[in-house]
Amino acid sequence: MYSSVKTLALSGLVGTEINVEADMSDGLPVFEMVGFLGGEVKEARERVRTALKNNGITLPPKRITVNLSPADIRKTGTSYDLAVAVSLLKLLGEIPTDAADGMMVIGELGLSGKVHAVSGVLPMVIQAKEIGIKKCMVPADNYTEAAAVDGMEIAGVNSIDEMLSFFNGELTDCIRERKQTCISGGGYDVDFSEINGQETCRRAMEIAAAGMHNILLIGPPGAGKTMLAKRLPTILPAPDHGECMEITKIYSVAGLLGNGQGLITTRPFVNPHHTISQVALAGGGGLPKPGACTLAHRGVLFLDELPEFSHNALEILRQPLEEREINIQRAQAACTYPADFLLCAAMNPCRCGYYPDRSKCRCTDNDVRKYLGRISGPLLDRIDICAEASEVDYGSLKGNGKNESSDSIRKRVERAANIQHERYAGTGIRFNSEISVRDIETYCHLGAAEERMMRNAFESMKLSARAFHRMLRVSRTIADLDGSADIKVNHLSEAIGFRSIDGRYWNG
Amino acid sequence: MAEERYIARFEDDFPARLRFIPGCPSGIYVKGELPDPERKTVAIVGSRACSHYGYSMAEYFASHLASAGVQIVSGMARGIDGIAQRAALDAGGVSYGVLGFGLDVIYPKENKDLFDMITERGGLITEHPGGTQPVKAFFASRNRIISGLCDLLLVIEARLQSGTSITVSNALEQGRDVFAVPGRLTDPLSAGCNKLISEGAGIARTPDDILRALGLSYEKPVVVKRRSRDDAFTVIKPAPAELTEKEKLVYECLDLYPKGLNELVRQTRLSVSELLEILISLSVKGVAKECAKHNYIKIWQNW
Repeated sequence: MYSSVKTLALSGLVGTEINVEADMSDGLPVFEMVGFLGGEVKEARERVRTALKNNGITLPPKRITVNLSPADIRKTGTSYDLAVAVSLLKLLGEIPTDAADGMMVIGELGLSGKVHAVSGVLPMVIQAKEIGIKKCMVPADNYTEAAAVDGMEIAGVNSIDEMLSFFNGELTDCIRERKQTCISGGGYDVDFSEINGQETCRRAMEIAAAGMHNILLIGPPGAGKTMLAKRLPTILPAPDHGECMEITKIYSVAGLLGNGQGLITTRPFVNPHHTISQVALAGGGGLPKPGACTLAHRGVLFLDELPEFSHNALEILRQPLEEREINIQRAQAACTYPADFLLCAAMNPCRCGYYPDRSKCRCTDNDVRKYLGRISGPLLDRIDICAEASEVDYGSLKGNGKNESSDSIRKRVERAANIQHERYAGTGIRFNSEISVRDIETYCHLGAAEERMMRNAFESMKLSARAFHRMLRVSRTIADLDGSADIKVNHLSEAIGFRSIDGRYWNG
Repeated sequence: MAEERYIARFEDDFPARLRFIPGCPSGIYVKGELPDPERKTVAIVGSRACSHYGYSMAEYFASHLASAGVQIVSGMARGIDGIAQRAALDAGGVSYGVLGFGLDVIYPKENKDLFDMITERGGLITEHPGGTQPVKAFFASRNRIISGLCDLLLVIEARLQSGTSITVSNALEQGRDVFAVPGRLTDPLSAGCNKLISEGAGIARTPDDILRALGLSYEKPVVVKRRSRDDAFTVIKPAPAELTEKEKLVYECLDLYPKGLNELVRQTRLSVSELLEILISLSVKGVAKECAKHNYIKIWQNW
């Protein structure tokens, strides 16, 4: 006697189809599970046996073998329990032998027979769809998440009881057609209208959001750098359905989706503490889990107190900033996680935080330079925009209640994003920040007056050559925000004004 | 390369001004020249962590005095000392540095170019033999030589409790005139100077005040020449830059103390974009400067 049920094994965001095969034959009574199982999968034997017993189904005294095939892929996690239970029930004749045919079964069991939520349901369901499966059985708590996938029949079950009724055709209303759960935009609990003053940072963040330029905020403690950064996702273009799926997939794998939470429709804001390790930032573990830079995918990675981060941790950001994904190699698996984020960093101008206010700051110029020197050059090279967050005085603290809201800023940002979208159609570039040095002459062409202005600025302000291309990219974005096809002198000037710091910048 | 030599107190070459100060060193090591006893000497001292106001004032006084033929003495330290000495040399004058360590040590390292220049057009003086490393205690005792070598001590910027106050009390003990550059009452970096003035020090409003106190006449305005890095002599005072109405408005709002962009937005009621454009234009014209991210100062035109 033999039965088989389909389920999935996830490695990173990619799944492999797994067949749970069960066989019952004569011999010494034993319940054995094989197929390269991790510790938690081996324990499934006890959970399944007890859960069935507590629902009035006792395993007969026969030799029962369960194999998870293909047997050369290591299985981890608790999502196999339900599939093992279904295969046994088919074997025992508790449910029809054609039950669960063409269906993928995911879920963890409790001893009482309750079906618990598991992580990674969304990517599994997406993968199931790709391999042509039309129906999925998931824990009821994961129903909304799984229902986000188009054209998939989802059964959300709470317990073995419900599962039995479902397969015996007694309970059908737990299978429902997928509801539209994706709502565009909105949904943030913070807004730019709550920020008084800080005109400089407002403008800098608008430009950063429009062209996906990485941004550095400099300012004294308590100026509101974190408050500003938290509002950066709210002015980024609203994520489309595909992006929502990507974000939700990652949070699902990381086990960070709340019970009953469906598609995430807001851009993530990830704010790791500066003591974060390399692995926590990049992702890792035996079977690699996503790290902070993957959790910030399609959103904002905020590094507060940038000079306090360990040099090693920051160095690993170079790959994701360059390739927008991160490869993690471990003994058991190698996986690639997406990591396309907008980097927002914040720092004090010096160790005490008050430079150049000499009534508070006693750091010498050398101290200030040393403090700046703690940021790695290659990372600084990826930051296009730099702005000062100044201390807020009482007048602007009280505010006049007429601050511009995130919605109205986002409208301008989206308009600029559309211009870029049209201009770069078919080139592989999405935003101005991605223009390669080779293409810069094509997209950031300067007229005679602009060339002259740039030359003057370079000579009299001693700008560094490394910053040149970054300034051109930013000026392209400013021109797009302005709706101007050409980069004009005022766009260039503003880009120079927002240029990032470089080594010799902070002198006298 | 200038030669190093040792001059004992009883030798004729030993500076006469120094010989009779309390605690006169038994001898000094010299590299380069000693101050000319026939010419007036002014010591310019101040805070190591100075403000941009202090920076501008040190440059202003040092370059004018040096151009008028006054020798500038200071301590080669970070901040006011180095700025004043560099300005004096750049203006074509001479300057002397008094060290609190051996002649073969360069401290602070960022003043290395100044150490090289000063032995060509001035000199270095110390009471410590070669190999003596910079030690805190030696800096305080060096101050008596700085004040001892000068006719007049000018304090640019000093906090209430600072190394400068040691130099000032030495100077008073040695009978030298003390002048101070006034600053804002609210600025702790100028508190020492303002206190000196209230206690009777001279007020240094312009280099003229100092020259008069030294008994030098100063009828014709001195044209300050500055040696730029590529060694060509250029006149520093630029032709009054042609500014547009809005540029004038922003320029008037700027100060020698750094002002943040947000504050400028409130004062001028211009947008950030507009302001940045004007500020970049002012920087290109050389009348404003970004001294820290989005903090701007005026470059002083009153040379």
